[in-house]
Amino acid sequence: MTVVSAFMLPGSPLPYVQRDNPPWGHIADGMDAAARALAESRPDTIIMYSTAWIAVLDQLWQTKAHLQDVHVDENWHEYGDLPFDIHTDVELAEACVSATNDAGIKSKGVDYDKFPIDTGSIVAANFLNADKQCKFVITANNVYHDWKMTEQLGRIAAEQAQKLGRKIAVVVSGGLSGSIFRNSINIADDHIASSEEDEWNMRILGLMEGGDCAGLLAVCPEYAAAAKVDMGFKHMAFLLGAIGGDFSAAKVHAYGPLYGSGGAVVEFSV
Amino acid sequence: MSKGEIVAGYLAPHPPHLVYGENPEQNEARSQGGWEQLRWAYERARASLEELKPDVLLVHSPHWITQQGHHFLGVKDLSGKSVDPIFPNLFRYNFELEVDVELAEACCANGAEMGLTTKMMRNPNFRVDYGTITTLHMIRPQWDIPVVGISANNSPYYLSTKEGLEEMDVLGKATRKAIEDSGRRAVLLASNTLCHYHFSVEPVPPEDMAQEHPENYAGYLWDMRMIELLRQGKISEVFELLPQFIDEAFAEVKSGAFTWMFSAMEYPELAGELHGYGTVIGTGNAVMEWNLIKAGLAKAA
Repeated sequence: MTVVSAFMLPGSPLPYVQRDNPPWGHIADGMDAAARALAESRPDTIIMYSTAWIAVLDQLWQTKAHLQDVHVDENWHEYGDLPFDIHTDVELAEACVSATNDAGIKSKGVDYDKFPIDTGSIVAANFLNADKQCKFVITANNVYHDWKMTEQLGRIAAEQAQKLGRKIAVVVSGGLSGSIFRNSINIADDHIASSEEDEWNMRILGLMEGGDCAGLLAVCPEYAAAAKVDMGFKHMAFLLGAIGGDFSAAKVHAYGPLYGSGGAVVEFSV
Repeated sequence: MSKGEIVAGYLAPHPPHLVYGENPEQNEARSQGGWEQLRWAYERARASLEELKPDVLLVHSPHWITQQGHHFLGVKDLSGKSVDPIFPNLFRYNFELEVDVELAEACCANGAEMGLTTKMMRNPNFRVDYGTITTLHMIRPQWDIPVVGISANNSPYYLSTKEGLEEMDVLGKATRKAIEDSGRRAVLLASNTLCHYHFSVEPVPPEDMAQEHPENYAGYLWDMRMIELLRQGKISEVFELLPQFIDEAFAEVKSGAFTWMFSAMEYPELAGELHGYGTVIGTGNAVMEWNLIKAGLAKAA
């Protein structure tokens, strides 16, 4: 079996940089639970799609063998640095570049010193792979790619992993509802900014927990619009493409607010 | 201390291709040139800036995007390598800049007093965005004038264009008051492209100017219409048309720098000097200047 585990995580740095704040600490605890589940699934490589890595021209894949630096989030700089130390499965990443180009999705690898790694990728790597046991294939969110093309990217990535004999964990970094608090709040009182969006999020998470993939797919477009979902919920498309389009159940390790927006740590049964 | 003043404002777009085409020593990538019309436009703007003798350059960049408030660089010395996430093949630039922290703090405080959420960026490891760096390099490659870097709050996208640009108007007023109180001679840089429709495939080599032209004819016509109004000093008409221009030409001025700059200058009905226009991967870019000294609205040094 190529795909040994699959997860959806929020890309916000807040649970990582300020986990002693109860609303964000709850999500950090969920991240820790996901990290344990991922470790138990014993993947060779983590394939990660991050909504926060924005691409415009091509589908970008990180191909630099070792990424080590310190990042500061553009918005949350006051909470400190985000150090990272990520090793890339270069062979698999290059196979993904080649295969997606063959499929008509113009792609290229990125191998540059000081290339700006996005916050979502760093947060996921630091929570899920703290002991640096796994290598990564990290790919971008091209803003012009729709649900179908993003699903195709996930599928191609998993196919290439299979061809190379890799066991992979599929990780998508992205949020749920998108309404935020634009002004400073008491962070201890953080909550989902819109009750309607909160209801939508919980409905979606319920469909995931129940393994109702068809039901989930049916409401995704409505959910994406009604709850201002991060990047139209395309991260779910990548995950579904990579895991073969279906899952039997899901475990929600955490759900909560991130300065008003919704974030959940979800483990899918594959 | 004498009253500070804004001596000029520039529309100063930030395609990293312009730095790439120039081949400065700070940028790792090498080219055979390209985008000369725009680079020569910036040469004229550089000469004009030299005569203005400003104490500080303030730049509002759409590539430092913030969600909670309007942020200001607040570390005196910032350095590092800035790599463009979209065009890393073209822009890998080693920068060192000095921030006018005192003026930045005043802008931040005034903005808060006027009802905006504002924040100082105090983290010394912060990576300055490529929009800020490209605009600053193109207008003043010597890097010998302190700067104030201002983020683009995403309000025009998160709220409506109208609501977002109203915030940028307030930000401009806060900036003007801070400059006046500071005694500084300040130049404003609005780091914005006009029509933002672009090609999705990069030529090989990227500087192949045989491939460069407007991506969208309707967008080009909009650019010409707006530039002509700006050249005639019909600023009120420009701002009446701005929402339609933004919608129909996908114009990057939506991100707020253009409105911030004109608000700070109090929307003078003043003819802008077009230093040049050109496209970059299909987008429309104009380098324009509003010289308030020549107009008698500010004093010469």
